Amino acid sequence: MMKKIIKPILWLALLVILIFFPKLFGIYYTNVFVTFAIFATYAVAVNVLLGYTGLLSFGHAMFFGFGGYGTALALKHIDGIALMPAIGIGFLAAMLLALVLAPVVTRVSGTAFAMVHLAFGQLFYILALKLRNITGGEDGIGNFPIPAFTIPGLISFPMKGDPVNFFYLAMVLLGISLWLMWFFTKTPFGQIQVGIRDNEKRIDYLGYKIPQTKAIIYVVSGAFTGLAGSLYGLFHNLVSADGSLGAMISFSPIIAAMVGGVGSFFGPIWGTAVFQVIEELTHRFTDRVELVMGVTLILVVMFAPSGIMGFVNTMKMKWHAYTASKAKMEKTS
Amino acid sequence: MNILETKDLHHDFSGLKVLFGIDLQVEEGERHAVIGPNGAGKTTLFNTITGTYHPSKGKVFFKGKDITGYKPHKLARIGMGRSFQITSTFTRLTAFQNIRLAILAKHGIRFNLFRYVDKMKDITRETEIMLERVNLINERNVPAGLLSYGKSRALEISMAMATDPELILLDEFAAGMSRDETHNAVAMIRKMTEGKTVVIIEHDMDVVFSLADRITVLHYGKILATGKPDDIRDNQDVKDAYLGDLHV
Repeated sequence: MMKKIIKPILWLALLVILIFFPKLFGIYYTNVFVTFAIFATYAVAVNVLLGYTGLLSFGHAMFFGFGGYGTALALKHIDGIALMPAIGIGFLAAMLLALVLAPVVTRVSGTAFAMVHLAFGQLFYILALKLRNITGGEDGIGNFPIPAFTIPGLISFPMKGDPVNFFYLAMVLLGISLWLMWFFTKTPFGQIQVGIRDNEKRIDYLGYKIPQTKAIIYVVSGAFTGLAGSLYGLFHNLVSADGSLGAMISFSPIIAAMVGGVGSFFGPIWGTAVFQVIEELTHRFTDRVELVMGVTLILVVMFAPSGIMGFVNTMKMKWHAYTASKAKMEKTS
Repeated sequence: MNILETKDLHHDFSGLKVLFGIDLQVEEGERHAVIGPNGAGKTTLFNTITGTYHPSKGKVFFKGKDITGYKPHKLARIGMGRSFQITSTFTRLTAFQNIRLAILAKHGIRFNLFRYVDKMKDITRETEIMLERVNLINERNVPAGLLSYGKSRALEISMAMATDPELILLDEFAAGMSRDETHNAVAMIRKMTEGKTVVIIEHDMDVVFSLADRITVLHYGKILATGKPDDIRDNQDVKDAYLGDLHV
């Protein structure tokens, strides 16, 4: 009963904090939070494949990049395009890429799946560097116009150079994305997904088509990654090969998911938060952020292999066992 | 009428021949046991029938239809279910969620991305009825990987039954069970397969002779004999090859 009351209160508190976040913490931390939210959504999208379906992708940056480049190219080349359609183009570009790749990649799993993605990811990275007249090569596409967010005849929020407005836009879009992905895990389809993770053979023998099921979740994951990438491009007003398509962009959400706990939906969000905090703190002393992140990953893998969420759950279970045994002791004595 | 029939079924694993022309006939509604010593090809026969392997020669018919080379999911959809010798459940999902996946499959709910599965009341009720029937209701929320051996075997079998197939193939359902557990499992299978066709592979002769209407004896990839339990018991070939030293 308590839980039923506490949960909505916590969500409401979070909502209130988010609404007043820019006022409370200032522009700098607002921007830090946007970065966090983008990468948290990205990590959750990766984890929908990794934790829920058991598919490890080493090349998710290609979806992130497709989202970013899609939106940037649309804004640069299409005159008078509004903001939401431009973001939609990024979303659809990543979705389309996933649809094209799905028939190939869903036939494999395990290491092969990971390596195929590493190959595709690097392919698009190189292409972005080489196709200079489209992608701008190493410089990327920068300083493209960002239109205001308008509801015709009602209001208009300028986005370019207005981090607070952008913060609200990003929160709404990322919040919807997270909610949708969470919802999918609660549907019958989400059950089949975890079934595939646990025992692919049995899912087949129950009468579910495995490649098709994987393909759908793959497209979902790719599309939301694209949305995160699109917002990332808008946030920096720049998309570049290294910033949006590089190998580190593929790896960091995986690491975040592992640190947070791949077994849980919210794990990757916590993992991203941990890394964001580490990055902020480390930057005050040294530029070698990756060094500290690497050590953190090693520590987590060694002492909490199921991540933060796994660790918390184990502790909870131990606590329950402890209180139960204590109650028993008191009864007998 | 034969619900399942194989004609001249051969299978070899890149040179290693396992099945040499199996002509198996399973009548509708009967409980048919396939027995034979280790390495006789029983599980391979199951695997070629249920689509794990493509037979190297020969045909498989289900309800008169040629199903040779059908993939497992397709067979499941036309009414063939199976359980596995080595327990094959969803270890991190609870007993309830395991059965629910089978129930969802039965109703053809596959690509539903628009409803909370927990709020599908009919599915929940049906799953719980199934859990009660197989005596797993107290283990409802226990992850399948943490169930005791007997319970996880019960879950294994009940998942095959929960999809409500017309033909159920059970691969050594009593493997590794204690006497009591075997006894309960036999009673459960009797109860739950009423009016259905069952094919079992089994080593435990008590189980075979108490459950089967007809028995097929497999020996080095060939059928040695098929018949009623009493006929099989008296068959000299079978005695020589297999039963003789088992004191049936």
